[in-house]
Amino acid sequence: MTRAATLSIALVALGPWSSVAPCGQLAATTAAAPAASPKKAIFEISASRAPTQSGSAAAAGPTFDELSRTADRARQANRDDEAIRLYEDALKLKPDWDEGLWNLSSLLYEKERYAEARDRLRVFVADQPKAGMGWALLGLSEFQTRDYARALDHLRQAMTFGVSGSQGMARSVFYYAAVLLTRFELYDQSQSLLFEMARSGQAESFLVESLGLAALRMPLLPAEIPPDRREMIQLAGRAALALNSQHQDDAEKLFRQMSSSYPNEPGVHFLLGAFLMNVRPEEGVREMQQELEISPFNVPAKVRLAEEYVKEGKLDLALSLAEEAVKLEPKDASTHMAHGEALIGRGDSTGGIGELEKARDLAPENVMIRWALVRAYSAAGRTEDARQEKAAIEKLAQPQSQP
Amino acid sequence: MILPMRRRLFVLALALAAACPGLCPATQKSFDDITHDAEAARTADRLADAIRLYRQGVDLRPSWQDGWWWLGSLYYEQDRFPESQAALTRFLTLAPKPGPAYAFLALSEYETKNYAGAFEHLQKWAHAGSPGTEELIDVASFHWALLLTRESRFVQALYLLTAKAQRRGGSAALTEAMGLASLRMARLPEDYPPEWRERVWLAGKAAFYASLVPHQFDRAQDYENKLLQHYDQAPDVHYFRGTLFGFQKKREQAKNEYRQEMRISPHHAPAMMELARLDLDDGQLDEALALAKRADGLEPKNPSAHHILGQALFAGGHLQEGARELETARQMAPDSASIHFHLMTVYQKLGRTKDAEHEKAVFETLSGKREVLLPPEELQDLLRNQQPGQER
Repeated sequence: MTRAATLSIALVALGPWSSVAPCGQLAATTAAAPAASPKKAIFEISASRAPTQSGSAAAAGPTFDELSRTADRARQANRDDEAIRLYEDALKLKPDWDEGLWNLSSLLYEKERYAEARDRLRVFVADQPKAGMGWALLGLSEFQTRDYARALDHLRQAMTFGVSGSQGMARSVFYYAAVLLTRFELYDQSQSLLFEMARSGQAESFLVESLGLAALRMPLLPAEIPPDRREMIQLAGRAALALNSQHQDDAEKLFRQMSSSYPNEPGVHFLLGAFLMNVRPEEGVREMQQELEISPFNVPAKVRLAEEYVKEGKLDLALSLAEEAVKLEPKDASTHMAHGEALIGRGDSTGGIGELEKARDLAPENVMIRWALVRAYSAAGRTEDARQEKAAIEKLAQPQSQP
Repeated sequence: MILPMRRRLFVLALALAAACPGLCPATQKSFDDITHDAEAARTADRLADAIRLYRQGVDLRPSWQDGWWWLGSLYYEQDRFPESQAALTRFLTLAPKPGPAYAFLALSEYETKNYAGAFEHLQKWAHAGSPGTEELIDVASFHWALLLTRESRFVQALYLLTAKAQRRGGSAALTEAMGLASLRMARLPEDYPPEWRERVWLAGKAAFYASLVPHQFDRAQDYENKLLQHYDQAPDVHYFRGTLFGFQKKREQAKNEYRQEMRISPHHAPAMMELARLDLDDGQLDEALALAKRADGLEPKNPSAHHILGQALFAGGHLQEGARELETARQMAPDSASIHFHLMTVYQKLGRTKDAEHEKAVFETLSGKREVLLPPEELQDLLRNQQPGQER
């Protein structure tokens, strides 16, 4: 995505301060020492600062009220550079002035001065820790300064506290969180967010590449896509979107086009295979096997194939694949689930339940695992355990925040 | 990599216990009130209040060591790194034994892009014995590795990153750091071109799996193959593959990779040195000597180049010349155990018994330090202050 697009998405959401975040109380002490601000003292590591000196310095220049009013007027008149300078001056007098911090941060972001915006926003959210918009703009600033771990952390904070009143900002937050989840190899979480965005009306063209990357399990940002595989990633994204909107024929056509154009690329046969498993399983199995020839350590492919073999009653094959998957990724819930299902299929109810419980503990919010446990407990006559799992499933079915 | 916030508070609290035993005695009632209120606010998680009160405290009494410490810590907690850097700098001027504060200051400096300061303070922290919790050691050594990579000290960086991989397992940040160091890209994770990203990731994955104990070379190989699929002609890719083959004792494959690297990058001194080393082991002395001389000519300030050249000369019977090259290498990298070992061998052959015994003692000392956190060359300062063979 281009920088201009990024900005337009993020900034379209930035409404007036008063509509997006509550104004906090100002610290009494900072107001009492207007000229030599605490922040200035810290930056200069001044050894001593007498309040009387502060008072006399304040008398020499404009007051905070004058500066803040002039800054607001400059901002409203789109004299951004002047507004920035005035907000900075006012904040020297009152470093914890939330409204000023917010307005200054927004202007700095708009001017693509992301590192400065980030530093101001960190002060802002420290004082306003429940201001979703503050976390959102901080996360977006950190994304721009390539501090991706913090960006994701703070975009998640924004999702937790909400960015009510700004659909554009909400979409930005979800989108950037999703692309970062992919970069951190959390592909399933990324896809969930992106599909959620598609369902809530986000233009699909905007999601194609990010979804393609997540589907192909490539931990890259859209800006990091190698040119020779951009088309492949777009095909994967378009196919995933078609599937998400129940256009099976279109999805298959796109998956096949991707597979024939890029037959040796990791992930390609897995995607086609996963699709075919649901419509023509025998073809799906062949694709998964081909994927494993290209990527012998592809854990999702092993898991998916093991699941299919359980359905077909090929339990030895299923068990072997599931065991390999667990060995490769012992902290991945899906591997334990596949292993559990294979063991149960073989009649080892105790071992199978144990594996499903491991899977549940690793991914307590995964409803599919909990349903598998309900079935396993019920079959084993553990009705109370089954009842508790059902209760947990009902509890999980709470409304989530929407993009 | 970020220490989670809650964790950070915990780490900071533990670090303080180590760094600042006892508060400075209060002399004014108002100051007493402030310290009391500041501590109450901090322990109640009212961080904004705590910061305001600590600021008041240090304004009243600029020599209040604990005040600066907590101020720095609280700012660090809130990712307000310019402020934490300033407060911790002030703390260091007051604290006789800053201990973990060096690491927190270095991390703050890293975030404000003061990389020289960060490097210096990480060195001081390491020389103080790397005090702090496991989390702090992890985060600090990780950032040190990033800075070492930026300084083109890739071997030392990988030394630290491998230790972390073995201790903590994988993460996206570790993969990226290992990828940059493995491909000899002297960049930070936040500072390399987007078109390098896939290469860095694939190399990082390969390096990570190869570094685990037990090694997962087959899995590493899978990522190497994918790296080769698209980046066959990119610099350092074959050198990296050669290194991984070398780990697996697959000497011929390693040699082929180094030769391939030299075709792509004709002035690739590290590939020449590795190839010379393998040739030397195989008794191909002329080839080894020619390669070592070329590498030495390309990188006259690289101790490894003098080291391998010294070995090649020694193997060819040129004892005096070999000793001179090894002495040059030793001067450049006095921490290198293997240089001391090879010098010992040469001195023995030359009949310089006393010198050989000294080199042996230094070698044994250095060999016993394998588990320390310091990258090998950081040991030099420690060794300057002790006799050979003496325990640290």
